[in-house]
Amino acid sequence: MAIKLSANYSKKLGLPQYSSHSFSASIERELSDITQAEAEIARLYGLLQQSVDQEIQHPGFVPEGNGSNGSNGNHAPQNGRTYPINGNGHRVPAKPAADRWNCTEGQRGFILRIINENQLPKQDVEDLAQQLFSTGVKELNKMQASQLIEDLLVKVGKPAPRQTRWQQRPTAQAA
Amino acid sequence: MNAEVSSIPKEPGEKEILSDLQRTVSASRLGLFLQCRLKFYFRYVLRLTKPKTPSLHLGSSVHAVLKSWNKARWLQKPLTLKQAHDAYTTAWADTSEGSVTWEPGEEDDEKTTGWRLVDTYLRESHVPAELKPDAVEVSVEADLRMHGLPKLIGILDLVQRGEIIDYKTASTTPNADKVIHTTEIQTSAYAILYRHNTGQQENGMQLHHLVKLKNPKVVITTMPPMSQQQESRLYRQMESYLNGLQHGQFVPSPGMHCASCEFFNECRKWH
Repeated sequence: MAIKLSANYSKKLGLPQYSSHSFSASIERELSDITQAEAEIARLYGLLQQSVDQEIQHPGFVPEGNGSNGSNGNHAPQNGRTYPINGNGHRVPAKPAADRWNCTEGQRGFILRIINENQLPKQDVEDLAQQLFSTGVKELNKMQASQLIEDLLVKVGKPAPRQTRWQQRPTAQAA
Repeated sequence: MNAEVSSIPKEPGEKEILSDLQRTVSASRLGLFLQCRLKFYFRYVLRLTKPKTPSLHLGSSVHAVLKSWNKARWLQKPLTLKQAHDAYTTAWADTSEGSVTWEPGEEDDEKTTGWRLVDTYLRESHVPAELKPDAVEVSVEADLRMHGLPKLIGILDLVQRGEIIDYKTASTTPNADKVIHTTEIQTSAYAILYRHNTGQQENGMQLHHLVKLKNPKVVITTMPPMSQQQESRLYRQMESYLNGLQHGQFVPSPGMHCASCEFFNECRKWH
């Protein structure tokens, strides 16, 4: 009996004036054997995520910061909002896939600096990313990259300064 | 003529501090500003320091051991109760965030209370050890310049199965409806941080309250993903924060919250 595998990936991004745009892609596959499922899901996830990420960078029409907004229409922006990405529908040249990291440029630079300055084998870092997130370093999203950076700093004996979230908050009692 | 210039770091002036505060904001900073602008001014602009309170020390120690526990199970090396207790003892002894002035016998009582909270939480398995976290106490930020707003920063205690989990200690049992309202700035901020950093919508949020009762208990409050309305509310609150800082509007807001305010005396002198 054939097994039907259905995979869907969707992403929503914020735009000016509290608006947003989203895109999703779906794929259906037939599997002959349930043991193929895990590997096929991983493959489809990577494929769909990459495809959606590539397309969602082009927001098309973007509302201007002229007072009409995405909340209730009477709440004019007051702080000179600008929208940094290309909002006129023109495509921004994409980096070759091999050079593309999902995290920010700053995170990418920081990870590479930790590796270089501490002479860490790149494979160790790749293994850590796989262990924690079951994905490669370049595929990490920003949250995962932050976590990896924190763990790498601990690994090389330079943990980031302890967070000061608990200081001076006697009434909050947050744990 | 040769002159040597010493490089003693210069303390930032008020203008510089205010400028920094307009560039970056956290949920707790925003919440404090909206609660009482004068208290905000004392804490973040004048940077008046006060001794660490026992409950704060307990909260940070509990948090530290939960972080260790979550990290260990993530690496598939779950802590035993003894290892968790050792982590708690180490965290309790850490005074790098400031030391507490204890009353006689108070420290032992508080330390026991804190461990009983952790013990209860771990024994009741509110977060199954075999579940792999998505993140543990991760620092994240969201650039909201596109909305004309400061950069939002925060630390997510635990993310698992796309759900954002925040730990809190409390001395009374929280009421679900009230706590959803009173923590909205924090939960909305975390949702925005999560979305900006993963490109995904969170599956929901949970507040895990560890309640310091005679018989400690854990209360879990679950919430759906942040709504569009909540997102707009937070952005408006952030706009109000920016406007307030730009206009230097640091007036007191007397109310019930003053009972536990560490700046009560300073506030009384304000005019």
